[in-house]
Amino acid sequence: MPTVSVRRDLLFQALGRSYTDEEFNELCFEFGLELDEITSEKDIISKEKGEEKAKGASETVLYKIDVPANRYDLLCLEGLVRGLQVFKERINLPRYEKIIPAEGEGQRLIITEETAKIRPHAVAAVLRNITLTRERYDSFIDLQEKLHQNICRRRALVAIGTHDLDTISGPFTYTAKAPSEIKFKPLNQSQEYTASQIMDLYRTDSHLRHYLHLIENKPLYPVIHDSNGVVLSMPPIINGDHTKISVNTRNVFIECTGTDITKAKIVLDIIVTMFSEYCEKPFSVEAAEVVYPNGKTHIYPELAYRKERVKPELINKKIGISETPSSLAKLLTRMCLKSHVTGNGNHLEVEIPPTRADIIHACDIVEDAAIAYGYNNIQMTVPKTYTIANQLPLNKLTELLRLDLAAAGFTEALTFALCSQEDIADKLGMELSATQAVRIANPKTAEFQVARTTLLPGLLKTIAANRKMPLPLKLFEISDIVLKDPNTDVGARNYRHFCAVYYNKSPGFEIIHGLLDRVMQLLEVPPDEEKGYTIKAAEGSAFFPGRCAEVFAKGQSIGKLGVLHPDVITKFELTMPCSALEINIEPFV
Amino acid sequence: FTEMPTDNFVESSFWNFDALFQPQQHPARDQHDTFFLQDPAEALQLPPGYTAKVKKIHSQGGYGSQGYKSEWKLEEARKNLLRTHTTSASARLLYRLAQQEKFTPVKCFSIDRVFRNESLDATHLAEFHQVEGVVADRGLTLGHLMGTLHQFFTKLGITQLRFKPAYNPYTEPSMEVFSYHEGLKKWVEVGNSGVFRP
Repeated sequence: MPTVSVRRDLLFQALGRSYTDEEFNELCFEFGLELDEITSEKDIISKEKGEEKAKGASETVLYKIDVPANRYDLLCLEGLVRGLQVFKERINLPRYEKIIPAEGEGQRLIITEETAKIRPHAVAAVLRNITLTRERYDSFIDLQEKLHQNICRRRALVAIGTHDLDTISGPFTYTAKAPSEIKFKPLNQSQEYTASQIMDLYRTDSHLRHYLHLIENKPLYPVIHDSNGVVLSMPPIINGDHTKISVNTRNVFIECTGTDITKAKIVLDIIVTMFSEYCEKPFSVEAAEVVYPNGKTHIYPELAYRKERVKPELINKKIGISETPSSLAKLLTRMCLKSHVTGNGNHLEVEIPPTRADIIHACDIVEDAAIAYGYNNIQMTVPKTYTIANQLPLNKLTELLRLDLAAAGFTEALTFALCSQEDIADKLGMELSATQAVRIANPKTAEFQVARTTLLPGLLKTIAANRKMPLPLKLFEISDIVLKDPNTDVGARNYRHFCAVYYNKSPGFEIIHGLLDRVMQLLEVPPDEEKGYTIKAAEGSAFFPGRCAEVFAKGQSIGKLGVLHPDVITKFELTMPCSALEINIEPFV
Repeated sequence: FTEMPTDNFVESSFWNFDALFQPQQHPARDQHDTFFLQDPAEALQLPPGYTAKVKKIHSQGGYGSQGYKSEWKLEEARKNLLRTHTTSASARLLYRLAQQEKFTPVKCFSIDRVFRNESLDATHLAEFHQVEGVVADRGLTLGHLMGTLHQFFTKLGITQLRFKPAYNPYTEPSMEVFSYHEGLKKWVEVGNSGVFRP
């Protein structure tokens, strides 16, 4: 969930009234936002770097608001205010207008074919005669960052560049050149660099180094320049210093380049709708023309208003309320979805503005109607579905066994399903390849490299962590292990295993054996070689030679029991003898 | 409520994400949040007819939806991972239900382990358990969902509930369930829910 940080006083100023923290929290809750934290810059620095560094930092109160991941129109103060004001019916949703300049007067962005291999898509627009203040400027930059982080997937899908139009002259060209051919002064730098030098320059920059890999090893780097060769930007890395916008900028040229055209269009729409508020003619955006390598042209921004028809009964039915069509229309209008009743009063025509790219289905409209109605105002009912309840047989067996094993004096343990490679292989004296283990490609720590193929390491680690407890330590666990299996659709499956260990001054083979007998008694499996269970002497790499047996049930091997080998005991940092039993209980379901 | 089979920790991206309308470019499918598998790295089989339908919905839309209008790659869906939520088991259940000749209403639940690639700290574990419930029937409403949740939490002794609008890729409307914690003297989130998207 993205978090937007807004200055509380600015927020209240824009909303036209003050709220107490409580009241604002309530408002957020209703709307679907979460007031995560009330803090100030001073607090933030205090927490991160200590009281000393925080001295002199701003104490203005900041609200950190959590915004749903699919609402790109709420990622800045302007959007939040607009959304809340419409929700509270204090303003009407503004109509966003696209102004198409006269022939030859508009800005043009020409895309060349070289970009096809690296970042093929680009869209552009202009904000004319905009008035920026310090706060609006900060908000503008913040919004771009937020969009970069979220919908743009850290600039991989789309990268945004904003430029002072008065410092450059169109038409603009978006092309791709070899790194050595690109040379310009990057934002906030004092000299010119070639593209390869820029890569090196920002390799240690905490912010930009994460984006270098997006173009680094490609033969050509994307670059946008104007008709005089002045570089606007090298997406997705950095803009040029020449075109940087400031508080005094009056005309802004916005370009979005990327690999996903749908998202680029959404991003452009969001930026222009949010900030066109500050243009001389509010909510109007000057269109720009994009020329493709094949000669086709397209006007951006699209600012498409989509109409969808929904039946009021559908909305009522899905939520469980009964509102008249006109009141439903009013509810939806409050959520920025302007609606009115059509047909003979049995249809609603809903207009979806360009800011609500998250509305892709009638069910999204239903949700918004429910939010406007107030979730907590909906009457709670229980569905009249009659079904017969069942427990999954495997789980039922597990539950029954667990109770009786505890009654036998063993304590249950719940251990991690993921462990290190050594845990299931080296420490048990086996080769990793023989274990049929499922391996993880991107573990954060060495403790989570593989999914366990046996419950034994988990229990032994538990004992190691509890050495101070009085002896004997008798633990068990009935849980899943994972093994590779080419017969399943994913290539692996779970097996329900039961494992018990006995740790004491003497190994207690007879105790573990007795436990096995008790379990078989509970499962009503007789000690018979053909129709029941039996144990035969066997070898096991984790077990003491001559003190190991294999358990067979109805002719199938289901596990082993025995005294653990001293090597195993030492590798798990234990000091006393230990006996163990592990069997698969699935055959007994 | 009948218990669902959930005994597969290893799941394909298809069932864990794609069949649940989670876009292929969603941040949760990142290396940082999901455990992807090295071995076995790819699912061996995916239901063929269903896979084609899922591809269409993501890239072009369908059943009244606009879809995501972005490319849908089969290799991405084949990637194996350790499931990040038991909803993948619910998806399989609903698929099986859809294969039935005649629709029968179901109420199912599961309580099992899920895995997320997080660093361990006081409030986060890499593997934890989730409780999940699904009701499938004709004419269900949001009010029904709220009622069912209320009943469930009441049995656990939690009676003060409030619902907040939320977002999940696979449910719309979605609600987060909050309960008032007497000890902390504030509302804490105790669950997430929603009506599956058509």
